[in-house]
Amino acid sequence: MTDHASSAQSAAEAGAAGPGPLLPAAGELSAPLPASTDVAIVGGGLAGCALAYYLARSGVEVTVIERGELNREASGTNAGSFHFQIAIHQLTGSDSEADRARLLADVRLHAAAADVWSELEGELSTDLGVHVTGGLMIAETRRELEILIRKQRIEQEAGLATELLTGPALAGFAPYLASDLSGAVYCGREGHANPLLAAPAFAVRAMAAGARFRTHAPVHAVESLDGPGASRFRLRTGAGDLLAARLVNAAGAWAPEVAALSGLPLPVYSDGLHVNVTEPRERMLTPMLQHIGRRLTLKQAANGTFIIGGGWPAQPEQPPARYSVRWDSAAGNTAVALRVMPALRDVRIMHMWTGVIAFTDDLLPVVGEYRRLPGYYLCLASTGFTLGPIIARMLAEHLASPGLHRMPAEYAPDRVPALARG
Amino acid sequence: MNSHREPGDYDLLVLGAGPAGLAAAGTAAEHGLATLVLDERPTPGGQVYKQPGPGFVVRSPARLGRDYLRGIALAQAARGSGAELRAGVAVAAIQGTTVVVADGAASYRLRARRVLIAAGAHDRPVAFPGWTLPGVVTAGGAQALVKSSRVVPGSKVVFAGSGPLALAFPAQLRHYGVNVGLVLEAGPPPGPRAVLGLARAAAGNAELLRDAASYRWQLARYRVPLRYRRMVVAAEGTDRVRAVVHAAVDARWRVLPGTQERTEADTLCLGYGFVPSDELLRLAGCAFGYDEDLGGAVVQRDGWCRTTVPGVLAAGDVAGVRGALAAVDQGRLAALGAAADLGAIPAAAAARLAAPIRTRLARKERFRAALRPLYAVGPGIYELATAPTVVCRCEEVTRRELEHAIAATSDVNVVKSYTRAGMGLCQGRNCRRQVAALVAAATGVPIAEVPVPTPRPPARPVSLAALADDSIRDEGLFIRD
Repeated sequence: MTDHASSAQSAAEAGAAGPGPLLPAAGELSAPLPASTDVAIVGGGLAGCALAYYLARSGVEVTVIERGELNREASGTNAGSFHFQIAIHQLTGSDSEADRARLLADVRLHAAAADVWSELEGELSTDLGVHVTGGLMIAETRRELEILIRKQRIEQEAGLATELLTGPALAGFAPYLASDLSGAVYCGREGHANPLLAAPAFAVRAMAAGARFRTHAPVHAVESLDGPGASRFRLRTGAGDLLAARLVNAAGAWAPEVAALSGLPLPVYSDGLHVNVTEPRERMLTPMLQHIGRRLTLKQAANGTFIIGGGWPAQPEQPPARYSVRWDSAAGNTAVALRVMPALRDVRIMHMWTGVIAFTDDLLPVVGEYRRLPGYYLCLASTGFTLGPIIARMLAEHLASPGLHRMPAEYAPDRVPALARG
Repeated sequence: MNSHREPGDYDLLVLGAGPAGLAAAGTAAEHGLATLVLDERPTPGGQVYKQPGPGFVVRSPARLGRDYLRGIALAQAARGSGAELRAGVAVAAIQGTTVVVADGAASYRLRARRVLIAAGAHDRPVAFPGWTLPGVVTAGGAQALVKSSRVVPGSKVVFAGSGPLALAFPAQLRHYGVNVGLVLEAGPPPGPRAVLGLARAAAGNAELLRDAASYRWQLARYRVPLRYRRMVVAAEGTDRVRAVVHAAVDARWRVLPGTQERTEADTLCLGYGFVPSDELLRLAGCAFGYDEDLGGAVVQRDGWCRTTVPGVLAAGDVAGVRGALAAVDQGRLAALGAAADLGAIPAAAAARLAAPIRTRLARKERFRAALRPLYAVGPGIYELATAPTVVCRCEEVTRRELEHAIAATSDVNVVKSYTRAGMGLCQGRNCRRQVAALVAAATGVPIAEVPVPTPRPPARPVSLAALADDSIRDEGLFIRD
């Protein structure tokens, strides 16, 4: 009865159009490291895999080194939303000109990210679970509505199409919301993808274009090489040594540890994030919901489950464990969800999970070259599934033709003031 | 949710009102421990001593059988000793000796000095072509239906299973009037050596032997054909089961080619033993060992049923499936240990009271060892799914899709991520072992060494209304002071 051929067959199909998602074959991820490479990428998350893809596609020789498995940390454990609207944690409350300029640039980057996501399934020729559902940013109080109106003006100015809805217009558009909310901003470009599929798909396509990947290869030391020769770095890894002309640190929450191997300061922080998932229900909610004043993201996935998150903390654990679920976070997070969408009362939470999230003081990405160590780059999206692919593409274009594509100074690893200190 | 709703903390919190939990509660309360027993079902008794659901009036207790009477007696003893019983309460999470429970309307926290996990076991899930068809039921499910709702499944039933209890189910079903047309036992017919072994181990196990003989006798009396060394390999039908395909197997339960037969039936009842319902033990962080015949992964315990997590104990089938009688004794042992630990009785008294219990448990263990050659679970049980067979029924993931993911990684958490197998409503209870077996087959690692995916609460689904708490302060991530 058993189909013994199926196992070998599916192994051969891994990486091609097989049953299920586009996944790299385990054998290709454990091949010996080459002696040298042009670009070495440390970190096999979304940023690292996407960067490898865009580089390989441009003909750049690239090798990705991953400590564990691909896509296991923030890239694969977030809720998969694209947030293009300005979110609560990006608003400092100050109305300074510098603050406005920062937000404008940020919204423009997010609009570019929306373009990348909308074309990504075509680009990689595979299903990534991309659903452009639109998103509503909710305001509960009068004060929150004022913030919403202010932030929407910035979005308009930056070229991100959003619409303010209040009163009957909001009730008509989103009858499932609590009737006493003060308003919402709608952005039609928001949505979500499947975070479990994006990075592996980038990896498969990168390998097809010539990129090499090596998993279970922690980097123990990075030596900067002086003198003649094309290689500026020697990486000592669990899978042997690798010489590289250029090095990209794409290690996410662990980027500071990797940077420290080269004596580079990197004020990137990380926290554990708590997410709740409900049982599947009939379609009740199309757009993703966020709250401008309280921590909430809420969406109904394609399979009918509601995913409820928004930045509630998880409980840190002793290594090698990372974070455990925090019951208080579940209770607080679901209270906000019920406040916004009372119809969820009887829906049952089926599962909770935690993931890590990495971020900077100014909540902007860190992408580009360290001035103090030429050839050493960072590629880190700061709270960002949304921005992973776009920043990887920007950096790939720069690495492929540095003269043609300059990196924005506001994302530089040693930008002032926030990241240069220490 | 309200964390301060429960001002009274307990000495002993017992999770599960089956044989182990009820026995533990009775013993603990008798020795002065403030004891609370929780069970998610509406009535106590657990699976084996299951009581009819609310609304059923029992006029003739004897007709419901011996297990019903044993359940009544245990529940009455527990109540009589002063233990508090709370039914219809599910445990959602556990951390140390604090548990979060939900009763449908609300969720709240309970604290105790000791927590005894006595969550029992559930049917060992077996995936084969057609196993998700309507009409395929587990022995436990069919038994629950008959015992608590008096509903008789199907008009022509094939029973397929193995183990000392396997014959109990068809005999019981037959007793309730179910038309059982064929019984398939994966193990061998009891040969002279096994019978000799059983006879040697029989001292003090008369009750177990008597039970086994009575089941066999009942089947013979009803002229139900009983075939050894045969297993189900497929259920056929489109809207529901129409026929059962079965085949001869070897000692490892692997199908012998060319031995397939087809039997018409509208119901296929499966009884390939039980596996511990170990979600709460996993969430609590207890260390595990492995014994396939006890249900696979088995929690590590000391002589007083204490797990490796301080304050957390385990008794009954949740700690390795040994049946209701052993569960009762383990429950009593755990309660005596807890009473001594908490200073309610002197250690010497606990040891003295435990001595006869230990003797009984050792006898049962000898009996179990004698049965092992007959009923050892073969690895073939996990090899019946074909490529298009749905292995994870909650998320509808096939064996082909799982093998595709396993070709990319041997990390069970990553396989779970790639396929969603184990993320559904049953939280992997039904597919975890099947997935582990596929990983084992692909990597050559024994199934015992394939790790279990990271356990996550809630152990049981909780409604948003019950979970939400407006008083929780928004702590705020990403903002550094």
